[in-house]
Order: sequence, then structure tokens, then C-alpha cells
Amino acid sequence: MKHHLQSLSCTLVLLAGLFNALPLQADKVTLDSSSWGSAEGQACVDCHSKSSAGLTHQWKNSAHALANVNCLDCHQAYQEDVDAIEHEGSIIATIVSPKDCGRCHETEYQQQKGSVHSKALTIIQNRMPALSEHFGSPSINDAGCAKCHGSTVKVRGDGTLDPASWPNSGIGRINPDGSLGSCSSCHGRHQFSKAQAREPAACTYCHSGPDSPDKEVYESSKHGMMYESHKARLNMDSDQWVAGKDYSATVTCVSCHMGAAGNMKSTHDVGMRDAWNLNAAVSTQQYLIIFEDGDKRELSTTEPLPRRGESISKMDGSMGKVKAVASPQRRRDAMSKTCLECHSKGFTNNAMAQFDNVVELFNEKYAKPAQAIMQELYSAGLLTPLPFDEPIEMTYWNLWHSSGTLARHGAAMGSPSMTWKGMSEVGSSFYGKFISQIREAAGQDKGDALIKQHISGSKHHDWLNHPNKANPILGFGQGKVDND
Amino acid sequence: MIKLPLPAFITRHVLFALLVGGISGIGFILFLIEFDHYTSSEAFCTSCHSMELVAKPYRESAHYKPVSGVQASCGDCHVSEGVLTATWDHFIGGKDLVKQIKGALIGPDYDDPVVNALHLPEAAFAARKWFKDRNSATCKRCHNQAAIYGSRPDTLQIHLQDAQQKSCIECHYNLVHRTVPDEKTFKRAAWNEMIEVEFGLEKGSAQKILAESR
Repeated sequence: MKHHLQSLSCTLVLLAGLFNALPLQADKVTLDSSSWGSAEGQACVDCHSKSSAGLTHQWKNSAHALANVNCLDCHQAYQEDVDAIEHEGSIIATIVSPKDCGRCHETEYQQQKGSVHSKALTIIQNRMPALSEHFGSPSINDAGCAKCHGSTVKVRGDGTLDPASWPNSGIGRINPDGSLGSCSSCHGRHQFSKAQAREPAACTYCHSGPDSPDKEVYESSKHGMMYESHKARLNMDSDQWVAGKDYSATVTCVSCHMGAAGNMKSTHDVGMRDAWNLNAAVSTQQYLIIFEDGDKRELSTTEPLPRRGESISKMDGSMGKVKAVASPQRRRDAMSKTCLECHSKGFTNNAMAQFDNVVELFNEKYAKPAQAIMQELYSAGLLTPLPFDEPIEMTYWNLWHSSGTLARHGAAMGSPSMTWKGMSEVGSSFYGKFISQIREAAGQDKGDALIKQHISGSKHHDWLNHPNKANPILGFGQGKVDND
Repeated sequence: MIKLPLPAFITRHVLFALLVGGISGIGFILFLIEFDHYTSSEAFCTSCHSMELVAKPYRESAHYKPVSGVQASCGDCHVSEGVLTATWDHFIGGKDLVKQIKGALIGPDYDDPVVNALHLPEAAFAARKWFKDRNSATCKRCHNQAAIYGSRPDTLQIHLQDAQQKSCIECHYNLVHRTVPDEKTFKRAAWNEMIEVEFGLEKGSAQKILAESR
């Protein structure tokens, strides 16, 4: 208990620092202005205003140009850099990595560095080929998956970038300098617009479709509806963008997941305020572990809570010392701060409770039994270890990864239609396909036993045990007097 | 008929020597012209297998497969204009023949694609220096900097304004042969690794082959 209280107070103090005690707007660049404006870089502009006039025009209208930051300030490289090339007499690199941006934008780089966004490739790298290569080929990975998750950029022995891995601006890109991510995912080169990154489109470029249906969810939410009506009043170009102060017409993705509100500062760690892991077979609430070196990881609340100073594994497999832990509630509180600029505490808490209930419903009714059955089928050798070669594997995958994600994200962001669409898809796959495929894979007797143990024996599926309970929804009993 | 008196030292022998010398001289110059002409041809250059290896990417390049049919052969780019300079270039280039023969007898065997590819960067650096030292003279046999209209709207302006003090090779390299980085950013270890993967060699073997063939 004492230990718990201690770690709680530690956490509170640290998190007060993390979430509150910092300035409200994005940090100003503190580097001395003599550090940029390379004279050699001016020559780039002369030629590039002819050879790639559009790109140069974008830069000329950017905050970078206004601050006298030119091509070479970002693209300069050292001879020994793996991706250094000679270009018109200068040593440059094509790719400007977050580490390069971090030369000036240090705070943003530090926040981005440990974020789940920066690990969008590393955390799924070993699982990805099962989807991309079984359903497609490496080329679908290059043109599809990696465009959002990021590629591992390969520099070939002749100094050129492997065309399979470049161009790419995926948010978890593994760069030649070892840094993770790509600032241009949201701040498209060469305009580097703040307004662009605050638009829902900056996120929905990747967060749409079956794996991450947030475009569909946002557009069919009240916030999305208000965005359509009032986007001109969102003050997106403003230097400071605090909810309730600089804008109020609606919220975009950035507002809740990254934005400043009240005394809470903005952050480039996009997953920081997520209490749940919604992109898992079974959702769990999650701790945010902050390591002493600034790196971070998610840790399910089903795992033991690590103590401050304890060494636990990081996402890349190496060990790190725990500096602070943010509880799911603390993360929820941070997310809620934006809500509170417009909504009451009661309204906010109730909306969050409605969301939690859908996640728990999905977990208990579908996700846990389906997961338990799949595990039994694998361990009994009734399914091959190879993913997606049996129909039930496809059904199971779509159940949680597509339909289940839609239902959970729909509930998280207030889209009634997508919540129901997702959950009704989950239900129809579960009852319409999954159950019969259990018998297909396990045989009648073993199948029936599994179904009884995990499904029909559970209160969630008790309705299956009452086959004579009539309902006219499908036409049963139509025309009979007592049903009219 | 006016008879001009010849100086006394013009004897019949002298006259004969002048005649023979003159004709031989003309013959020699004609021989050099023909020699340079023949030894600048693709057929001659690729009669060594090692050159056939570097010619492969050339045959896929715009200099070999131009839109217009103006095709550049090996010598058009790699041998200077003028019979004396051309002869000199061939004389210097003769060292490649010596190396080729020496390679066949005692090694290194430049006909071996691996040895060839491992040595390619140094050959490329030497060739680029050759172009640079001559202010890209052989490029300018065909290309006029004031008439490069190109495919982008401002290609001509770039060549007239931004590239005015520059020699073609400073910007345009890796046009014809296999891509080799600039000497300043070249990384031997990365190059070796690429060749090892390409030829399915054991890791580290490129360094050994290179050491043996130096």
C-alpha cells in the first residue's frame, strides 16, 4: 500500500509536469538564428525555382522561408552519413529525418521520438508480412502498408535510395540515420504548414478504411458534422491554437489527441492521451511508461505495474529504466480536458462511460470467447500455425481487426452509425460464420464442446438457448392474428 | 621553259628522301586518323571482355538509344578531338590493354564480373576527373550549353544562368554507366556489400578479392 501511495504521488508530480506545467503553445525554436540561413543554400533556390518551381514556390510561402531557413539548412549532410550524396557541389541527403528537424525543433522531436506514431512500423514489423505478402506481394507493402506505417529506408551501395523504400513519408519510417518517423507525414514538405496538420485530412490520409476507420467515424460524428459547417472559423493558421481560446467551432483529431486546452499544453506524442488500446484482439486499458532516456511504451493494465527505477523491456526489445508511469485514468483526464472546454464534467464522464461500455461489451461478448477458441484450435493442432490459410482465421481477423475496430473507434469518437455498423458486423460474422467455422475446423463433437464452453454457456449468448422464442423481425409468424 | 636552279644541297638523294618521307608522313597521319577512328569504335573497345561489362549499361542509356538517332560511341565521349590528342589518349589508354593482358596471365582478371564491379568506382572517379580536366570537351562535341531546351520549361534558363560557370560533368554524371557515388561520399564497405549481395558472395569476400587484385 505504501509503495502504491508512493508511486501514485510520484506519478502525479511527474504528470503534473508532463501535462500542465509547460507553456500552452508549441515551443519556440531556441537555437540562435545564426545557426541557419546557409549562404551556400541560397544558390539551391536559384536553380530549383526553375527546375522544380512548384516545390520552391511552396517553400517561398512557408514559415521556413520567412525565417530565412533555406534548402541546405535541412538537407545538409556530412560526408560520412550513410545517405550523403554529392549534389551540385554540396553534400546533401534527400531525406530530412525527424532527427534533422530536431536540430531546431527539439521539443517536438523529443515528444515524437518516444510516441507510438514513431513506432508505427517497428511494433508491427514482424506481423505485417502475413497480411501484405499473403494477400498481396512486397509491392503492396511498398505502395500500401509502408506509406502509412513507414518503410525501412535502404541506402544502396551505389548511394541511391532503394526505390522500394523511397519515396515514403510513413509516420514510423526507419530512417538511414536510425531515427524513427517522418515529420512530413502531417507537415507535408515543403510548406510545413501548421494549418494542414490541424486538419482532419492530415490524419485521415492514413486513419481511414478497415484498419483504422477514423475518417468514417469523425465524418459521422457531431464534431465532424460541425467541422463541415464551420471549418472557416477554426483559426487554423493561428500560431497558438488552444481549444476554447483560439477556436471553439468544433474539434479536429489534433484538438483531443495532441492539442492544447485550458492549462494543458499541446504535444507531439499523439498516443499519450489514449486510455485504451483499441487496436487489439481484446482491448485493455494501458499505462504509459516513460523511461529515463525519454523513450516511452504502452503497458497493458493486465501486466504488473512496474516501479519507478525498475528495468523493463522497451518496444525495441532493449531494457529501459522506468522514470514515470501514467495511469489510464490520468491519460483519460488529459484527453477530457479538451472536452471540458465545451462540455460539463458530467456530460464528459458519461460520454466516456458509454464508450467504455461498448469496449467492454465487445471484449466480453465477442473478443474473449473468440480469442480463447482460436487459441484452443491452435494448441490442439486443429489449425495450422500459418495465418490466413483457413477460413476461420479470416473471419477472426475481420472480427476484431476490422469490424471490432470500427465499433470501438465509433464509440470512442461519438459516431452512432459507425458504432452500430461495426458491432452489427461483428455480430453477423460471429453468429453467421465464426460458429459454423469452429465445427468445420474442430469437427462436430469437439466443435460443439468448444461452442458450449465459450459461447452458448455464457450469459452474453444465452439467447441462442431459446430457439422457440419468436420475433417477427424476419417474418416468422406473419399473417397470424396474435402477431399483428 | 624556265629552269630554276636548285640549291646545290638538293641532290637526287635528298629529293628522293623528301618524297619518301613526305608520302610516309602523310601515310602515317592517315594511319593515325584511321587508327584513332577504329580504336574509338564500340566494336574495338568491347573486344576486351572487361569493357563489354561496362558497355552493358551504356547500351540501355540515352546515349546509346537516343530519341533522335544521334548515337555516341565510346570514343565520342572518352577520346579527345584532334588526331594528336586522340593519339595521346589512345597511348595513355594503352595501359588498360597492358592491364588486360597482365590480368589474363597473372591477374587480376578484370574480365571476372566481380573483380570488374569492385574496381569500377575507381575507374569512374578517374573518368570523371578526365572529363573535368578537359572542361567536358567531348560532351561539347554534340551538346551546346546555349541550346539545351530540355523537357522542363526552364531547362534552358538553368543552363544559361545557374550552370554557366560549370562544366557538364559537374552535374551530369551517372548518365551512361553503372551508378557510382561521387568520390566524396563513396563508401567502400557499402559498395562491397552491394556487390556481395548481387553476386551471392559470402560476407567479407569482396574485401579479400579486392586485396588480391590490387
